[in-house]
Order: sequence, then C-alpha cells, then structure tokens
Amino acid sequence: MAKQLGRDQQGITLRGSAEIVAEFFFYGINSILYQRGIYPPETFTRVQKYGLTLLITTDPELQNYLNNVVEQMKEWLYKCSVQRLVVAISSIENNEVLERWQFDIECDRTAKDERAPREKTQKAIQDEIRSVIRQITATVTFLPLLEAACAFDLLIYTDKDLAVPEKWEESGPQFIANSEEVCLRSFTTTIHKVNSTVAYKKDSFP
Amino acid sequence: MEDLENNTTVFSTLRSLNNFISQRMEGVSGLATPGSSQSSLQIQYQQRVQLEEQAGQIHSKSQLLQVEREKMQMELSHKRARIELEKAANTNARNYEREADRNQELLTRIKQYQERETEAENKLKEQMEMNKSYKKSMETMSKKLQEKESKLAEANETITILKGKISELQWNIMNQEMQMTSQDSQKQELMEQLDVQQKKWQEASQQIQTLQASQSLLAEYEQKIKDLEQKLSQQEHDAVIVKNMKAELARFPKMERELRQLREENAYFREMKENNGLLKEEVEGLQRKLERYEKVQAQLVTVELENEKLLGKLKSWEKLDQSTGLNIRTPDDLSRQIVALQQRELVLKEQNSTITNSARLLEKARQQLQEEILRVQSQLLDEKKKREQHEALVRRLQKRVLLLTKERDGMRAILESYDSELTPAEHSPQLSRRMREAEEMVQKLHAHNTELELEVEMKVLKSQECTAEQSTVITKEEVDTLRLKIEELEAERSKLEEENRSLEMKLEKLTVQGDYDPSRTKVLHFSMNPASLAKQQRKEEQQQLQEECERLRELVRVLEGGGSIPGNLEGVGSFQSPQEVAELKKQVESAELKNQRLKEVFQTKIQEFRKVCYTLTGYQIDITTENQYRLTSIYAEHQGDCLLFKASSSGGKMQLLETEFSRTIRELIELHLLRQDSIPAFLSALTLDLFSRQTIA
Repeated sequence: MAKQLGRDQQGITLRGSAEIVAEFFFYGINSILYQRGIYPPETFTRVQKYGLTLLITTDPELQNYLNNVVEQMKEWLYKCSVQRLVVAISSIENNEVLERWQFDIECDRTAKDERAPREKTQKAIQDEIRSVIRQITATVTFLPLLEAACAFDLLIYTDKDLAVPEKWEESGPQFIANSEEVCLRSFTTTIHKVNSTVAYKKDSFP
Repeated sequence: MEDLENNTTVFSTLRSLNNFISQRMEGVSGLATPGSSQSSLQIQYQQRVQLEEQAGQIHSKSQLLQVEREKMQMELSHKRARIELEKAANTNARNYEREADRNQELLTRIKQYQERETEAENKLKEQMEMNKSYKKSMETMSKKLQEKESKLAEANETITILKGKISELQWNIMNQEMQMTSQDSQKQELMEQLDVQQKKWQEASQQIQTLQASQSLLAEYEQKIKDLEQKLSQQEHDAVIVKNMKAELARFPKMERELRQLREENAYFREMKENNGLLKEEVEGLQRKLERYEKVQAQLVTVELENEKLLGKLKSWEKLDQSTGLNIRTPDDLSRQIVALQQRELVLKEQNSTITNSARLLEKARQQLQEEILRVQSQLLDEKKKREQHEALVRRLQKRVLLLTKERDGMRAILESYDSELTPAEHSPQLSRRMREAEEMVQKLHAHNTELELEVEMKVLKSQECTAEQSTVITKEEVDTLRLKIEELEAERSKLEEENRSLEMKLEKLTVQGDYDPSRTKVLHFSMNPASLAKQQRKEEQQQLQEECERLRELVRVLEGGGSIPGNLEGVGSFQSPQEVAELKKQVESAELKNQRLKEVFQTKIQEFRKVCYTLTGYQIDITTENQYRLTSIYAEHQGDCLLFKASSSGGKMQLLETEFSRTIRELIELHLLRQDSIPAFLSALTLDLFSRQTIA
C-alpha cells in the first residue's frame, strides 16, 4: 500500500505502467475464464480489486501458467516490444477457435527516455480498468453459448526481432473463420494504451 | 340711554302715526269725491308710497342716530373699561410679582422637600432592602425550621415504625420460643422411635446374614447339580458317539475299498483331462494357423495383382525411354533429367524477374526524366518571361532617365540663364513669368512623359500578347497532350484512391480480426499452454478407449465362439473399475460357496439314496464307464461277483454284458431275460437264489 501511495504522489513511470497493465491482464483473463465457463465455477475464489469483487482461479497448474505469462508480459511491456495479447478459446474436440479476446497495446516509446513521471492518478486508471472489466462481464449477454468443452490459449504478438525465451514458441494467429467483432472500451496509463475487442464465431443459424 | 332711545322711537312712531292719520283723513276726504276715484286712488297710492318711503327714510335716520349714540356710549364704556383694565393689570402685575416671589419661595421649599423626599426614599429603599434581607433570612430560618420540623416528624414516624417492628419482633420471638419447645418435644419422641428402629434394623441385619448364608449354600448345591447334569449329558453324548463310532468302524473297510476305487478313477480322469487340454491347444493352434494361411492366401492374391500392375507400369516406364529418345534406363536418370529441367526453369525465372525489375527501374527513370524535362521547360518559360519583363522595365527606365536628364538640362539652362541675367532690373515680374513658363513646361513634360509611359506599356503589353500568342501557337500541341495526360492521371488517381480506401477497410477489419504484419510482428505462446494440454489428454483418453474397445471386441468374439477365456484376456478385468471387480469377486465367491454346499448336500443325499437302494433292493449299482452299470448283490458269495449292464444311448433299454459271475447263473439269465424279458424278475430271482444259498450255507 505504501508503494501504491508513493506512486500516487509520484505519477506514472514506465515500470509502474507495465505493472498496472500486467495486473489488469491477470484479472481480466481470470474474469474471462470464469464468465465463459472454461473452468468450473467452484474452482474460483473472490478477491477485491479495482473496487469490484473479481474471481480468480485456485487451480495451481493454471495459476502457475498465468503467473509465468504475466511476468513475461511485464518485462515485455517495460521494453515496449509487445503489440497485442489474445485469449483464444477453442473447442477441445475439433480444435476449432470459437472466441478471440484481443487486447491491442500502444506503447509510447518516448517514456523510456523521460525522467519525470507522467501525471495521471491511480484512481482515474482504476476507474477506466473497472469499466473495461464490467464490460467484459456484460458481454456474456450477447456472446453465443460455449456448449462443447473448451480450452484456452494465450497468444502474444511481439516485435519480430525479440528473442524467444525458453518454454515459449512461435504459433499461428488462430483466426476465427467466420467472425463477428465487437469493440469494447479502452484504458490508458498515458504510457500504455490498451484497446479491447472480442471476436466470436457467427452462428450458422441467422 | 336705552330708555331715551326707546322713548325716541316711541315718539317717532307716535309722530309718524299722527302724520299718517292726518294723511288718512285727508285721504278720506279726498274719497268723498267719488268722481275722481281712480286718480285720487292713484294719488293716494302714490302718497302712501311716498309716505312709506319717508317713513322708511326717517326710520333709517333714526336708526343711524341711535347707532351713533350707541357707538359713542360704547366708546365711553370702552375707555372706562380700558382704565379699569389698566388698573386691574397693574394690580395683577403686582399680584403676579408677589405670586412669583411666593412661587420662588415655594420652589425652594419644594426643592428642599424633594431632597428630603429623596433622602427619605433612599432610607426607605435601604429599609426595604434590610426588610427584604430580614425577610429572606426569616424565610431561610423558617425553611430550616420547617425542615427540622419535617425531620422531627419523620424521626417520630420512624420511631413509631421501629416501635411497631420491635413489638412484632417480640411477638415473633415468642412464637418461635413456643415452636422451639414443641420441636424439642417432637425431637425426643423421634429419638425414642429411632432407638426402636435401630433395634429392629439390627435384628433384620442378622436375619439377612443368615439368609445370605443359606443362599450361598443353595448356590453351591445348584452348581453341583449343574455339574452332575453336565456330566450326565456328556456321558450320554459319549454313549451316542460310541454307537456312531461302532457303526462307522463297521463301514471302514467298505470306505477303504471305495477310496481305492475313487483314487483310480481320479488318476484316470486327470490323465484324460490333460490329454483333453493338450488336444484343445493343438486344435486352437491349428485353427490359428489356418486363419493365418487364409489371410496369407488373400494377401498373396492381392500381391500378385499388384505385381502385375507394377510390371505393367514398369513396362510403360521402359517404353517411355524408347518414346522420348533420351538416355533413360533407370528412374534415377529420369529424376536427374527432371531436376535439370527444374533448375533450368528456375534460372529462367530468375532471369525473367531480373529483367522485369530492370524494365520497371528503367520505366521509373524514364518517367522521372520526363517529369524533370517538363519542369525544366516550365522553368525556362518562366525565366524567359521574367527576362522580357526585365528588359521592358529597363527600356522604360532608360527612357525615364533620358527625359529626366533632358529636364535637368533644361532646368540647368534656365538656372544659368537666370544666373547670367542677374541685373537690378525688375526681375520679379520677368522671373515670375519665367517661373510660370518653366512650371508650365514641366507640367507639359510630365504629361508628355506619362503619355509616353502609357504608350510604352501598351507597346509592352502588345508585345507580350504577341509573344503569348506565339507561345500558345507553338505549345498548343503540348497543352493538349498535357491535358490528356492530366485526365488520365486523375482517373488513375481516383481509382487508386478507391482501391486504397477498400484496402484500408480490409486491413482494419483484418487487424480487428487478428491479422498482423509478418515482417514486423510474430506470435508467441507458452509451450505448456492449457489448450495443448487438453488436446494431449483428449488423445490419451481416445487411445485408451480404443484399446479397451478392441480388447472387449476380442473378448466378445471369443465368448461367442464358446472357447475358454485365454489368459491374456483376463486382463480385461483390469480395465473395469476396482469396485466392479470386487463386487464380481464377491459374487463369484458366494456362487462357489453355494456350489460347494450344493455339492456336499447332493453327495450326502446321493449316498443316502444309494444306501437305501442297496438295503431295499439288495444290489449296489455303480457306474463304471459311460452307460455301463455294475451291480453287486448284498448276498454275493465272492467280492468280485458282479453283473454288468449297458444302457442304450437313450437310457431306456439295458443289456447284460458277460462277466465271470454271469456265466455261473446262465439258467436264470435264460429264464428271465431271454424268455420273460424282465430284468427286475431276473434280479429278484438272483437275490432269492443267493439268499437261499447263504442261509443254507
């Protein structure tokens, strides 16, 4: 808490912005997994964050995986070499991608050279993040039902020249063949701007 | 005065009356003459009127006089009144002074009295205050008195209450003392009762002790009785057992015989079983070989077909060699040729691409050069125009310069002339005239100058127009070509803009869908991600399920075939859940137990039945081999005497087989079996015969 208070007074630095965005991804991905029923709801527990009651998973394997990805994202956000994060939800039986949650990241590279932090309050950023997460929860109303058993994968679009770390590998973009897209709200920390969209497979019945 | 006045009025009225009467008389007399009635009346009327007027005048005069007299009198009275008033005023003034003095005295007195009054009031106030304080103190004192009185009253009340309480307490004490005495008496009575009870209790305890002793003796006797009864029962049991043992001992030799026979049969059966097993395995092996050979045969057929096809293909390939004319004997050559062709193709494509690139570059260079040429031409034109403009300017300026120099010269000449002609003559009018003339000249020159400039400009414009016309004439063709080019370029531009817009839309849509620029971005994901883990698990599950499926299918086939379950299929049970396995095992055990119990029961029953048959019919019937029955009579003389019967497959008819014993009883056989065709008669005759022999012997 003292660190966060200090941040309030100091403003937003590049490292602080990277942490905020990485945290948002952690909680956002957990919300998506819960809302879309990828994992059973009894494996989630409640926490307070951004002034909301959010659900995060208690499955240790899944937690380990998410923590690895989020830590790597933090580093890459600090280096401003990540462009996009995609949560691709696919059916286990036929490997068909049914839903794609895409978070575009625009990074202000001049922030690396600046010494003075930028003026934006923690509270304003939290309000914006809160509205985005509320929208994610609200999208359940119009997204089609995922009936078959599904699994998810996290894809990260980075610069071409970035070194691929251990345990990571290149993959395809996992498009949806016949998709409908909906743009959600965005939030910005004045150094990183995150735009959210969700794309889902159009139903065969009109 | 008034009386005088009244008298005067009376006198005046009397006089007037007299006058009137006199006049009346005259008038009456005048009436005697009726002749002049009318005029006399008129005259009388006029006289009356005059008289009345006179009367009135006189009356008014008299009134005037009266008024004047009154006025005089009034004035006199006024004067007297004034004098009197003055006197009165003086007296009043003196009175007033006296009164004023008195007033002042009274005022001083009043002041004194007022002071005394204030002092008295002050004293009063002090007294009042004192009074009030005394009253307050009185009140406090009275209050205190009241309080004390109230307290006294309360104290008295409490005293009375306490006195009452004391009296009550004394009454209570009295009562309690009474109760105490009564209770003492009761206590003594109770103590006496207690003593009595104690004596009784002691007697009772003594009786209890005696009873207990007797009870213990009873228990001992009962125990002895039980022991004796047990011994009795045991002895009875032993007797029964002894009897059974005797009977069993009698059976012992028979049992030993049977045991031997059963062991022999057992060994025989085991050998047969082993032979059976071996034979079954051989059969199974042979069946499998058969299946394999059949499969191999089918494969052979297909392989032969393929062989023929391949031979045909080979021949066609070999023919190819002949048809193409190249040096192709083996497929390696063919592949080499193909590779060479492909390489040539690649080379040619590369050349093609380089040539197209160079062509494009050349075109671009050409276009650039064309553009440069156009630019340079336009610049040239501009420069030419500028040069012409400058030349025109130069000419104008030169003409101006000439005019100005002329003016200057003129002015100088004038000035010199004026300077030379500086004489004391009257210059001023001449000078002024000359000045005017000079000014007029200057003005004329200016006008001429402007006209000339205008002409020059017109000339320049005309010249420019001429040059423009010339340039248009020369470059009309160029303009037409340029216009055509411009139109084409604009059309291309619009098309390109539309294409650009549509491409941008597509790009946006694709980026939203997730597209990316492969030259700048790449997509990474964690190797151990949940989707891939889920896929792996799915695959493993599928494989396991398939394997189980295959094994179950084999099991089903085997069971339908009716063969025994091979050992490797028993592993199927391992795929079932352990709970089902345990349940099935339990069921199996219970079934086996039931089986065993049934077997035991059947055995006992069978033995009983055989015993009964033996005792009733006199023959022991044993089964030796399939459908062969051996009968041994109870009265048989020798151990080995037996009859063998063979049953037909249906079991209805029995045939007697030859044995040693049967040769000895040929007569009976002939009689009962051959003639009478009755086996029971034969058997019963045999028993009777043997029985008779036994009893006799």
